[in-house]
Amino acid sequence: MGSDILTREVHPGGAPSGPRRPVDLAAREATRAGMLMMAPAVVTTATLVIYPLVRGFQTSLESGDAAVGGQPHFVGLRNYGEVLGSSTARDATVHTLSYVALAVTLELALGLIVAVALHRTFRGRGIVLAILILPCALPSVVSGVLWRRVFDPDSGLLNSVLEQLHILSQPQVWLAGRGWALAFITLVHVWGVLPLVSLILIAGLQSIPEEVYSASAVDGATPLRQFRHITLPLLRPSIAVTLTVGTVWATKIFDEIYVLNGTALNTRSILMEVYNTTFVNADFAHGTALAFMLTAVTALFAAVYAVTFRRSTT
Amino acid sequence: MKRARRGVVSTVAGAAVLIIAACGGGDSGGGSSGFAPRDKVSIQGQEISVLLPQKIPGGLPAEFTRKTGVRVSVEVTSWDAVRSKLVVANTAKTYVADVTEFDWSFTGQFAAAGWYEPVEKVLDPALVQDLAQADAAFDVGGHTYAACYSNDYRLSLYNAGMFTAAGLGEFPKTFAELGPVLARLKVSGVRYPLGIPMAATEGGVTPWYLLTMAMGGQLFDKDFKPLFADPGSAGYRALRFEVDALKNGWVSPGSVTFDNGPAFDQFAAGSSAILLAASPGNLATANDPKESSIAPHAKPALVPGVRGPGTTFGLPEGLAIPVTARHKDAARAFIEWWMQPATLRVLYKDAGMVPCRGSVVTSMATSGELDGGAVLSDELTHVVPLFPQGAPKWYGQFSSTAQGLLNAAVKGDMSVEAALKQLAAKATELATSGS
Repeated sequence: MGSDILTREVHPGGAPSGPRRPVDLAAREATRAGMLMMAPAVVTTATLVIYPLVRGFQTSLESGDAAVGGQPHFVGLRNYGEVLGSSTARDATVHTLSYVALAVTLELALGLIVAVALHRTFRGRGIVLAILILPCALPSVVSGVLWRRVFDPDSGLLNSVLEQLHILSQPQVWLAGRGWALAFITLVHVWGVLPLVSLILIAGLQSIPEEVYSASAVDGATPLRQFRHITLPLLRPSIAVTLTVGTVWATKIFDEIYVLNGTALNTRSILMEVYNTTFVNADFAHGTALAFMLTAVTALFAAVYAVTFRRSTT
Repeated sequence: MKRARRGVVSTVAGAAVLIIAACGGGDSGGGSSGFAPRDKVSIQGQEISVLLPQKIPGGLPAEFTRKTGVRVSVEVTSWDAVRSKLVVANTAKTYVADVTEFDWSFTGQFAAAGWYEPVEKVLDPALVQDLAQADAAFDVGGHTYAACYSNDYRLSLYNAGMFTAAGLGEFPKTFAELGPVLARLKVSGVRYPLGIPMAATEGGVTPWYLLTMAMGGQLFDKDFKPLFADPGSAGYRALRFEVDALKNGWVSPGSVTFDNGPAFDQFAAGSSAILLAASPGNLATANDPKESSIAPHAKPALVPGVRGPGTTFGLPEGLAIPVTARHKDAARAFIEWWMQPATLRVLYKDAGMVPCRGSVVTSMATSGELDGGAVLSDELTHVVPLFPQGAPKWYGQFSSTAQGLLNAAVKGDMSVEAALKQLAAKATELATSGS
């Protein structure tokens, strides 16, 4: 019976030769079973993803006076235009791009170094790997609080060490100036993400056959040439994943900034601007408009990485 | 094929029905008043949730349960987080708690949005009368939206031990006297004698409000026209004072990242000698040897002014009942129990909350129960509202903008002039648009 159905299903364009009734019945049952199995996923996705997205988009097209007793009305893309014209949002965009550029570069460079170092087996490798994963296991708020003690201008570890070494004569407020603040916040972010990036790259390295290295060594390739001409090209899929993950996470940076420097203008990211506009100012219309723009940019980054690496690996 | 399509359609339709059901269930409280006459309602066995920005003594909720049979779950989170929770939940018309914090600064916006039950006809009339003066901060359009539980205002604290060591006597009464006092304290070995939080938070802008008023000014005129952008204005001089305090080394450079919590911690640890904008409750904590290393040297003082003690302002905090509350009668009982003199005394003694009930404050001042009672009472005569015409509904947006701009000015990222001009432009835009 099963093979009979299969045979008839694959007839291209023509009607099956046998009786139709059993085929319809089986197909109907299969469809019904499929629907039933799909239903929980459809309901869950529709409730928790699609509906909020649609409702959020609708909010971004309405006036933002619901939280002050007004009646929201349709304003088209006005909120998007106003958000684009806001100097605070523009500064937040520049900060976010800085976080992304710095974080992704550092994560990839340091991740490769860690991965190459930990790829080879050596005594105590398991312990090193376990220690490596620790920062990733800490919630970002907790790591932010820990690092705050390091950067504290009056009693922080960093100032204390630099003063002891006579490098500083008076305490430095590391998070006051834009340059230092952006750099230190990025470091804290990278500290949390680096373990995952390293693990992805270690997994990628382990998938490269050892024979390739042996053969190249016979041909006289130095370790540097092996890294450049074997490791890097064969790691491309893993690098694509780390770049995508790193970019998306750096674009969404929030906890580290909030804990270390509050909503200060000199370090505010786009997501913080979304938070501030939406929940502090109670302006859901402009907040959701900004959030949708952030989503679009993040998706664009991910798409560019995916397309670029698919082209380079095919 | 048609049947298969119909299957898909019915699945999606089913999903849609479930979504509507799920979303419809969000409005659990409804918009009706929902209070029953006292003699016709039983609240025993109910459970209420209370959302607050500070801890209350652990035994108090159990005491309420013992008296009324109503169980209480108290959720405590930071002030900023409380506000965010209230905005999100109330915008979505969703239950958040039966009793919540209601800060003076919420009044304009929350009343306009219709998120809270007016309490003037719900609470015991004698209690409403006794709270009337403090509750003025929660009055809009003939309704009162909260019952004041913390008579918070700003006054100065100083470390008398450090003053004596520096050969100083009394606390300065004017800003002209304050400068030499700070210089003297610095010479005596206090590295950063003054504590002012300057972070980009609500706690970081409050000192600027206070300094503006203490220097003889106001933020806005009666039509909400900003008065702080002119270089001769008190608001301008107040921000200039903060910037100069940093430049002169009177304030720790780290203050630009401090909220009021860390600024008080420095004072209590003996790292600074003066807190210009402290809460009355800070005094009891600073003189508690378990929580402070400077006890019992913390003394209250009147905020300095131009020719004598300056004006200060009140930041009363109240308890309110959201329209989405599930057990409004139990919520009313909770507020009335909280406002009983015995409960208010425990809250002052163990949590530093100065009561708002006129009769209780008078009684405690007379019996000497108020720490620093004479100065606290004297400072109360200098308290005026920050917004005499009532907090505008756009206060949240104004405050959020001020947090960023003032912080940028003290960090040196912007000039005082540019920051205040930008803030004035934003305030004008908000007041004009009425959003």
